[in-house]
Amino acid sequence: MNNLLLLPVVIPMFIGVILIFFVKNIRVQRAISVIGSLALLIASVYLAFAAYESNSQVLTLELGNWQAPFGIVLVGDMLATLLVALAGIVGLFSLLFAFQSIGEEREKSYFYSFFFFLLTGVNGAFLTGDLFNLFVFFEVMLISSYVLIVHGGTKFQLRESFKYMVINMVASIFFLVGVAYIYAVTGTLNMADLAEKVGVIGQDGMLNVIAIIFLIVFAMKGAFFPLYFWLPNAYAGPPAVVTALFAALLTKVGIYSIFRSFTLIFIHDREFTHTIILILAGLTMIFGVLGALSQFNINRILNFQIISQVGFMALGIGLYSPLAIAASVYYIVHDIIIKAALFFTAGATEKVAGTSDLKKMSGLLKTHPWLGWLFFITAMSFVGIPPLSGFFGKFGLVLGGIEVGTTLAYILVAVVLLVSLLNLLSMMRIFMKAFWGEKNDTEPKITNKQSIGLLRPIIPLVALSIVLGLGSEPAFQYALAIADQILDPSIYIDAVLSGK
Amino acid sequence: MSILHIAILAPFIFAIFIPLFYKYLPRIHTGWFVLVLPTLLFIYLIRMLPTISKGEVITKQFEWVPSLGINFNVYIDGLGLLFALLITGIGALVVLYSIYYLGKKGEALHNFYVYLLMFMGAMLGVVLSGNLMVLYVFWELTSLASALLIGYWYHRKKSRDGALKSMLVTVMGGFAMLAGFSFLYVITGTFNIQEIIANADVVAASSLFIPAMLLILLGAFTKSAQFPFHIWLPDAMEAPTPVSAYLHSATMVKAGIYLVARMSPVFAGAAEWFWLVAGLGIFTLLWGSFNAVRQTDLKSILAYSTISQLGMIMSLLGLGSASAYYGYEDYYVIATYAAIFHLINHSTFKGSLFMVVGIIDHETGTRDIRKLGGLITLMPITFTLSIIGAFSMAGIYPFNGFLSKEMFFTGLLHSLDITQFNMQSLAFLFPVIGWIASVFTFIYSMIIVFKTFTGKYQPEKLDKKPHEAPIGMLVPPIILAALVVVFGFFPGLLEHTIIDPAVHAIHPAALAAGEHFGIHIYPWHGWDAPELWMTIGVIALGVIMYLTLTKWQKIYEFLRLHKKDPINYIYDYLLDGVIRFAKKVTSMQMTGLLRDYLAFMFIFVIAIVLYSVIRYDVFSIDTGNMEGIPFYFWIIAFVFAAATITVPFIQYRVAAIIAVGIVGYLVALFFVIFRAPDLALTQLLVETVTTTLFLLCFYHLPELRKERSKPKFKLTNLIIAIGVGATVTITALSTLVARGHRPFEAISEYHLENSYKLAGGDNVVNVILVDFRGFDTFLEILVLGIASLGLYSLIKFRVKGRDSI
Repeated sequence: MNNLLLLPVVIPMFIGVILIFFVKNIRVQRAISVIGSLALLIASVYLAFAAYESNSQVLTLELGNWQAPFGIVLVGDMLATLLVALAGIVGLFSLLFAFQSIGEEREKSYFYSFFFFLLTGVNGAFLTGDLFNLFVFFEVMLISSYVLIVHGGTKFQLRESFKYMVINMVASIFFLVGVAYIYAVTGTLNMADLAEKVGVIGQDGMLNVIAIIFLIVFAMKGAFFPLYFWLPNAYAGPPAVVTALFAALLTKVGIYSIFRSFTLIFIHDREFTHTIILILAGLTMIFGVLGALSQFNINRILNFQIISQVGFMALGIGLYSPLAIAASVYYIVHDIIIKAALFFTAGATEKVAGTSDLKKMSGLLKTHPWLGWLFFITAMSFVGIPPLSGFFGKFGLVLGGIEVGTTLAYILVAVVLLVSLLNLLSMMRIFMKAFWGEKNDTEPKITNKQSIGLLRPIIPLVALSIVLGLGSEPAFQYALAIADQILDPSIYIDAVLSGK
Repeated sequence: MSILHIAILAPFIFAIFIPLFYKYLPRIHTGWFVLVLPTLLFIYLIRMLPTISKGEVITKQFEWVPSLGINFNVYIDGLGLLFALLITGIGALVVLYSIYYLGKKGEALHNFYVYLLMFMGAMLGVVLSGNLMVLYVFWELTSLASALLIGYWYHRKKSRDGALKSMLVTVMGGFAMLAGFSFLYVITGTFNIQEIIANADVVAASSLFIPAMLLILLGAFTKSAQFPFHIWLPDAMEAPTPVSAYLHSATMVKAGIYLVARMSPVFAGAAEWFWLVAGLGIFTLLWGSFNAVRQTDLKSILAYSTISQLGMIMSLLGLGSASAYYGYEDYYVIATYAAIFHLINHSTFKGSLFMVVGIIDHETGTRDIRKLGGLITLMPITFTLSIIGAFSMAGIYPFNGFLSKEMFFTGLLHSLDITQFNMQSLAFLFPVIGWIASVFTFIYSMIIVFKTFTGKYQPEKLDKKPHEAPIGMLVPPIILAALVVVFGFFPGLLEHTIIDPAVHAIHPAALAAGEHFGIHIYPWHGWDAPELWMTIGVIALGVIMYLTLTKWQKIYEFLRLHKKDPINYIYDYLLDGVIRFAKKVTSMQMTGLLRDYLAFMFIFVIAIVLYSVIRYDVFSIDTGNMEGIPFYFWIIAFVFAAATITVPFIQYRVAAIIAVGIVGYLVALFFVIFRAPDLALTQLLVETVTTTLFLLCFYHLPELRKERSKPKFKLTNLIIAIGVGATVTITALSTLVARGHRPFEAISEYHLENSYKLAGGDNVVNVILVDFRGFDTFLEILVLGIASLGLYSLIKFRVKGRDSI
């Protein structure tokens, strides 16, 4: 029992509510936001630390003191708490970037409240140990994201967010269908209990179909091929900070859910389920990067790159070896950080150039060297150039794939490398078009000095990527420990059901 | 961390301070600060030479990422030290040269020197690390630094394109190499090069031997610009000339050679290795030298010349690998020996030639040989330097290039005796191709000297009035040219000190520590030596062909080589093709239409769910339960379905709302039947309110427009709709069957039992909502709160345009 597990859910929720009352006073809003976000970060880092310390034990909290599996339980294993901590980090820097970028109007229209409600949903989704409760946290997250994505209400936003909403509704319906089915077959909703009961019933008949339904649902949230159509345009509408937050966290919730369900519950017929995950992961990488190469707008290129990266992160689950899973976990950590940094730099570039159309940009490196080099380092980390953080995740996946050694694994290793090369091409296209080249006639909207404020929240994230790369030993050990923990589901199951 | 580690990392650390020097000490050319570092490093490294010459190695350990097997072991043997000396020695000269080449004004010197130092450190790391992954890390950094240096003048389109090309080609090779190294790790369980060499027999026995070799060679060939990956090197000439001299002739492009040499103990002896390294090398030699002759830009000539010379060294390494079959007899090892010797020589004469070309460019404003001519009197020192460099390259006595060229011939001739690898019928190709390529090498070497310095002086075609270069620009090439001469007369200086230990590193089984090869470098082999006659033949034919150049140059047009290297068409096609393909694929699916998106997604869902249903044969209906269903139930279900189906066909809003309302009320009826009065009540309330609200809103909206679309389109939609319905129905019915077999009690049994006992409520549904699962309800309330706040803000707040990001 650990009551502190509730903090990452409760803190942002209360901050969000409190902020409603100060909507007209921006300074107070900002102060409360920063304090709240720091408190959230401290709490979640503490939890991650506690989860690591207690090693083979998993933190749990039975809400309302109802014994698992009869009530709802929050579970903080190493993976969940790590992701919550990362959400805290990205949350803090997003907030700082928002101060610089979103403008007074948005601030006075409850932006920060929605921001914190979104974090509530994300953190809850990471921490919950109950399948239906996961659905509810998805709802919290989605309703906040609907609002944030349409916030500002431009024509483009309204049009694209409608598609986003409809498709997510469809996903929600399938989620409910899946929950109903699995409850019918197993009679329980608690994930640990499900894991145990699926093991007893045997995952050969209907449970495999249900596994596929959940895979579809989470793949929709995670923007897998061919379920990603909602993402590229919807994410091009809202302000950079919102896209950054979404890019860093929302698809991760989908991937995390796949992690949870396919390393805990549906692990008995990997020949079938995990092969499908592998194939989808490969196709997602390929289609994502092709989408990125087809675009000429920075935001859209990066939106497609969200998709391509999803494939990398899912790969480890499909390969299902300690090294591959650790690599995927490391990759998720890297991706959360670097995606935020990438979208921040893209936002800053848009602010400087007054456009996000690459054809209208040129030679910004001359006038805005800080921005240019931050983008370059971020992009190289993203591509996986060593010794930046992006490299070690990719390398772990390559090595893991080769270790697994099946034909499909070899093919996916080839896909990883090929897609990485195309990622390089896509990032270099941005860099060459926007930052290299002759200075064009259009005056920058803000000067190098003025842009420093925007860059300040990016620098720590980039530094984190460098540190994570150079100091990848502790990070990788952490990831390996997580892999060990999730590859032994009994740890999770025992922790949750021990009170039985 | 030892001093050695710090020495390797010093350039990176130093690079951090360069922008500060540039900013705060603008009166002193930043290059002077930079110069200190390679000089010190060179002195530091050369003091290790005596130890290394004795056949010893220096190692230092540092654990970096041990959980992935990545440890930063410094491992210095002859091979590594040779490269390290070239990197720091030529590095120092290049920095000195650059101080005069790049002016203080208008040049982003801080960028330039940061890249250069980054490269220097990375390159040192490549050649001195004993761990394959650390080597890889530094390897990619050299690619990165190289691309940045090529794109240094990034306002020029050619520079940008050249940077991209070099990056794509070398990083592609790097990625392949990464996979290759991973294969080796999977085979041997280590990334430590010496441990892998110790396990060479395990590697050779593995089924992954060939893939690992091919992937690693891909890395080496792309980096060392071997055919057909050489195309990036001519375009890399867009970089400032000091960079070309340093990276693209003396050091970085030799990284591939280093890798082949380093991995030789693992792979040498395999036929694939022999043929790929020797065969591709000798072809690259021919291709490069043949294409160099058609160039008109001095730097392009040198670029193709570099490609060709790299091919020559590569082929020698390949031929030398055959010695693994012959107990490392000197007779076969001589090829490897020649490779190392020529590697040193090439760095000296090519480095000085690049600097000479830089001087010509700097002083005349052009590198086009059609505009140049007659500079001999204006630039006598430069002319002398060019003679030394070019004649050495052509293989003329008494320069060092002559010695290694003869040794190359020796290696080629000895290869005739190799009986392995199906060489019997093809062996003659090596001396023939090598000799032909040498003729072309002779021709372009003459072009460089005589087209520039003799002939007619054409001042009207030059932007500047040329005169001799400043002394600072002359010193570095003079030093290199002096080495060309010294090594030409006293090759013995190199034999035991550095070549022996380097060759020993390539063939570790050939020597015990402290022993020496029986190979000696000497200029005169006697009148009966075929090498002598090959050289005489090269010179004779070369002179004739140079003099008749205009007569046979048409052959390039005939072979379609005159415009650009044909391999470039492939590159362009691939680069454009991938973008075109991406656009096509993306526009096919990202149509922007929600109906398309939903159609794609539903098709996928139907397909994959039905596939798993069929695969696991789960479809089953339990008809046993059907009998108990009362008749009125069927009616309600039928009306429910009918009302749902009607909705999309109704073209009036009010009617549609009423149809939807019917569906809602029927759901309430279901709740009543299933004895859930609370839910039924809630459902009735919600349904009434929403219907009323809808009607109120729609009163203000215009008529619903009839949508007209093609019947075929509707048919697919119909199929998809039916498919989704069928899928859900099938799975739902099958689930019910599975539910019947459930071996456990559902958790709801607990709720039923304990709702009064523990929670004090009679209504179980209510107790579940507010107590057992109160957290869900609490969050759903939050969802409603967010939704209403969101609606409020949406109505109140609209931004115009997209001012803020």
